[in-house]
Amino acid sequence: MNELKPIVAIDSLRVEFPTDGGTVVGVKDVSFTIQPGETVCVVGESGSGKSVTSLSLMRLVEFGGGIITGGQLRFTRGDGSEIDVARTDAATMQSIRGNEIGMIFQEPMTSLNPVFTIERQLVDGLMTHRKLSREAASARALELLKEVRIPEPERRLKQYPHELSGGMRQRVVIAIAMACAPRLLIADEPTTALDVTIQAEILALIDRLKRENGMSVLFITHDMAVVAQMADRVVVMYRGNIVEQGPVTEIFERPQQDYTKALLAAVPRLGAMRGKDRPEKMPVLMADTQPAAPAPEKTSLAPRVLLDVKGLTTRFPVKRGPLRLTVANVHAVEDVSLQLNVGETLALVGESGCGKSTTGRSILRLVEPLSGTVTLDGWDVRSLGTTDLRRARRDMQMIFQDPFASLNPYRRLRDQVAEPLINFDVARGKELDDRIATLFDRVELPRDFLRRFPHELSGGQRQRVAIARALATDPKLIVADEAVSALDVSVRAQILNLMMDLQADLGVSFLFISHDMAVVERVSHKVGVMYLGRIVEFGTRQQIFDNPQHPYTRTLLAAVPIADPRQKRHLDDKVFRTIPSPVHPAGYQPPPSLYDEIEPGHLVLRPQLTGLPQCPSRTASPNCTPRSPPGAGTSTSIPKPCTTPSVPRPSSPRSCVSSAATR
Amino acid sequence: MKRFLSTKGVIGASLVLLVLFVALIGPLLIAPEMATKMDMRARLAGPSFNHIFGTDQLGRDLFFRVMLGTQTSIGIAGTAVLLSIVIGLPLGIVSGYYRGHVDNVLMRLVDTLLAFPALLLALVISAMLGPNLQNTIIAVGIAFTPFLARIVRGEALRVAQMPYVEAARASGTNDLMMIVRHILPNIMPQVIVQATISLAFAILAEAGLSFLGLGTQPPNSSWGLMIQASRDYLDVAPWTALVPGGAVALTVLGLNMFGDVLRDVLDPRVKG
Amino acid sequence: MSFLLNRLLSIALTLVLISMITFAVTNILPGDVAMMIMGTQSNPEALAGLRQSLGLNDPLIVQYGRWVFGMLTGDWGNSLIFKVPITELLGQKIRSSALIVVLSMAIALAAAVPLGVWAAVHRNKWQDTLSSSTALLGVSLPDFFWGIMMILLFARALGWLPSSGVADPATDFGAALRYALLPSLALGLGLMAHLTRMTRSAMVGILNQEFVRVARAKGLSERVVIWRYALANAIGPVMTIAGLQVGYLFGSIIVVETLFNYTGMGWLTYQALLNRDVPLIQATVFVIAAVVMLINLLVDLLYVLVDPRIRLE
Repeated sequence: MNELKPIVAIDSLRVEFPTDGGTVVGVKDVSFTIQPGETVCVVGESGSGKSVTSLSLMRLVEFGGGIITGGQLRFTRGDGSEIDVARTDAATMQSIRGNEIGMIFQEPMTSLNPVFTIERQLVDGLMTHRKLSREAASARALELLKEVRIPEPERRLKQYPHELSGGMRQRVVIAIAMACAPRLLIADEPTTALDVTIQAEILALIDRLKRENGMSVLFITHDMAVVAQMADRVVVMYRGNIVEQGPVTEIFERPQQDYTKALLAAVPRLGAMRGKDRPEKMPVLMADTQPAAPAPEKTSLAPRVLLDVKGLTTRFPVKRGPLRLTVANVHAVEDVSLQLNVGETLALVGESGCGKSTTGRSILRLVEPLSGTVTLDGWDVRSLGTTDLRRARRDMQMIFQDPFASLNPYRRLRDQVAEPLINFDVARGKELDDRIATLFDRVELPRDFLRRFPHELSGGQRQRVAIARALATDPKLIVADEAVSALDVSVRAQILNLMMDLQADLGVSFLFISHDMAVVERVSHKVGVMYLGRIVEFGTRQQIFDNPQHPYTRTLLAAVPIADPRQKRHLDDKVFRTIPSPVHPAGYQPPPSLYDEIEPGHLVLRPQLTGLPQCPSRTASPNCTPRSPPGAGTSTSIPKPCTTPSVPRPSSPRSCVSSAATR
Repeated sequence: MKRFLSTKGVIGASLVLLVLFVALIGPLLIAPEMATKMDMRARLAGPSFNHIFGTDQLGRDLFFRVMLGTQTSIGIAGTAVLLSIVIGLPLGIVSGYYRGHVDNVLMRLVDTLLAFPALLLALVISAMLGPNLQNTIIAVGIAFTPFLARIVRGEALRVAQMPYVEAARASGTNDLMMIVRHILPNIMPQVIVQATISLAFAILAEAGLSFLGLGTQPPNSSWGLMIQASRDYLDVAPWTALVPGGAVALTVLGLNMFGDVLRDVLDPRVKG
Repeated sequence: MSFLLNRLLSIALTLVLISMITFAVTNILPGDVAMMIMGTQSNPEALAGLRQSLGLNDPLIVQYGRWVFGMLTGDWGNSLIFKVPITELLGQKIRSSALIVVLSMAIALAAAVPLGVWAAVHRNKWQDTLSSSTALLGVSLPDFFWGIMMILLFARALGWLPSSGVADPATDFGAALRYALLPSLALGLGLMAHLTRMTRSAMVGILNQEFVRVARAKGLSERVVIWRYALANAIGPVMTIAGLQVGYLFGSIIVVETLFNYTGMGWLTYQALLNRDVPLIQATVFVIAAVVMLINLLVDLLYVLVDPRIRLE
């Protein structure tokens, strides 16, 4: 076999950032190569230097204040010549960017210029590099949109970025990067900000483009499952250095370095819980000999229902005009029913905008539901008056997603954890101090943190403080709203283990809201899958994961990348999901949620008779903001014939539920 | 803290401190006669050894006059800004925290008031009430209130959406405690920044009012009044305008610099 | 269509509020109109008679209604000091003031936008320091100070331009321009300083956004990235800020016009205030506030042209 010249050869790269507080070294000593036609994944947590490496390759790092102080970045150009990017002049660099090397970034919502049309942004690069006329460039732009499989490409050309969804915007960004058929595509966390199903589409798209164009891909991510899905070779980085690199199967099956082992251990693998009936703690290090310990459980009596929710509905009004009249409603939560047992964890899982967060808030009455009953340990939460509700709050607490924003920057940690106790006059003086100190012990934080302020702590530490605050009044129920989503992978595992320990010790029940199926598989007893404000499937974790019935659940599970390179999904990105909207005109009465019980405790939503497509579809505006105007962004849902991707799972045959069969 | 030590921060802070010092300590060190003593033989004299900044049309020493004027000008501007905070802060908090109809009505009122140029409002109020020291304070204070109310409302709105406020609500905190413990501390930085900048504008406003004769009246002396008095003598003795004008400029400059640096340091988006 | 209707409703409501506030503020005086006309020493009976004929004894609501009705029918009353119908006075004054407002804004924008962008692009380097320091100084000086400087320099020392006087732009534009130039410069310098700082601030924010990085990654030249991609996003915010400054400008013209003896709306307002000419005060204040509001409205509408994200509303 020919010894092919690598497209990129990075040699001893060193990048520094001069700051007020001294020089920060972003990349200390990094060397690796990229061969033609291969995908190299650079993986690491925040601060590892993976992004800086890729930005250096494009010489964009200078615009962010970075300086390449050492090493070489050799790039082989189309004509066979080799240049050192680190020493190239600006003009040559400009002719390479967007031409021979294309780059896509993380945030599709802000990657496009909001005041220019899609066409303009596609055409600019073409006209600069290929010297095409306006008409020729426009024609090529249309071709590009078709290549990235955007529906109605002619219409999209004339539209503005805000009229497109996140997934579509990312496709446009990819189209821009592909415009001049680059030899290398750099993808910097391109799917981190996207929902799981959209992520699957985009990954499939990148894979297909790579194969069709013989392109090399430098893929940067923190998600080991995505690495398993996409990589030919892996480079593991930590604090500016390469820890380990090699072919993907080698790294996953025979990791050499401790950090790699720890990283792999901390990533929950979808499917690893099959056959186990209880949640399991995350292993701290991948010990290949001892099996992971199941989560310890309080010796339980017969399961007792703690939280019983029936028919919960929450809507947000959309107001218009000087008189602020309600013209439409966002149906954030629609006829939701669920039960949570004492000492167990119920997970609400779904993509952005499905209503899982609002459900949690509605149960706690942080947002007032429109109708339905919420019974906590026999108490009817919805009927409580203001004072009684305040008292009831002792029993139900919440942990939020953003550890930075859930603590008041101007109050000491001790005071913030004490706040619930002070509000309810539970303890004073010495007794109060003791209780708080004990709480800190319980969440494994040193006692001298009591006097500190939030900005002195890391994300994981702050989340521990938030947990301590939630535990202060000995609640029966804790709603964890994406509590670990914003944390680094290794920290995430620690916090999840902490939560499972607390459940075993104190018997506290969790309503665990998340979009991450693999994490949910790990920690939950029961699972509810949500879509467009309704629970589409409900059951034990085993029932949902081993025997999913509802088409949406199946799509969701099929889209999750598995952290095992031998189980790559062969995704077909022909499917593009249309986007129904949860916004309905004022006065619209939606049908009730009716379920089929296919096995004891396993409920599947019956198909709606209102014309909603049965096929895998996605929700509209993320977060269901009440400000979205009615009708905007609503592409009428044309049910498309489903081609659900096939997954090598022996248990349930994959057959798509087409719209015809269910009427 | 480190960012305060930038050149801008140091200069700004020094100027502000200097002016404050003169305003507070000046009247204790300088006997009033030194500023009011008229010497008709030395009128409109340029800077000399006897009179460092020269003299005005009545032979009064400009150096001492401008020093004493500091207290008047700063006093008026400072009290006016305080007044605008006393009215605007509660209004803004109620508007931003409770929202709903209260917010709609209040903000419509504030927005309409903002259509009136601040200087115009101050002039009208002052003229209507009769120009004197306290009416000037009232006029400038009321003129600056809508702007501050808007800023406070914006901040209160932002803070009220933060997860830690929701967490406090889930912990059983009532509205009053919420405002005291969580809302106020988190909006104060921006309020302080705004107050500093408003102070700068208030000094300019008082100078403008006095220049037009509708602000401070004799025997009180403020910088604006000094500039107004110098109008007729510009050709022969420009320093009579430049000295008080320079004082205004330095003070406002110092406050603007200080406010800028303060804003950068207290930016809530920068997390620690 | 409903958008337009909403807007008109809003405008009407605001105008009503403006009139109410104007009326309220001008009626808190301790003295009264009658005394102003006849002097404080006059015969109490004559005063009472005048008050009666002017309708000052009626409840405030009635007086307010009368005033509004008068405005709607074109009768704005007579000025106490000039002794002529107010409507006659306003015409030329509005035109003259409009001239300097437009001129000063034009001067300010033309200089501020390039300077601000330049400072933002080279932020924290000498260009930025120079530009920002000068702007800071400019903002710290009162308008009348600039006015005095202009007079000393251009009128007295160089003798290029007149330091006082005015001409109606409708009748003699050339002369009007000559008289308007110095006042506009005086106003414009302070304005330019402020706008430079704001433009710089807006540009810095824009340059930090992701799409700028994407544009560079596309291989576009830095010139195109800054002056087309980034600047296109700055127009909106700068326009808004400039619109808000118009309000401030209308306050400043009172001082500047008086300084230059430029008889526009500002000068008129000052005369009215000085002499407690209540009908005139009411008229000028109302006109100024209404104009400011309408200009802000115009900016809002123009914003829709500039930023496609707003169009949906």
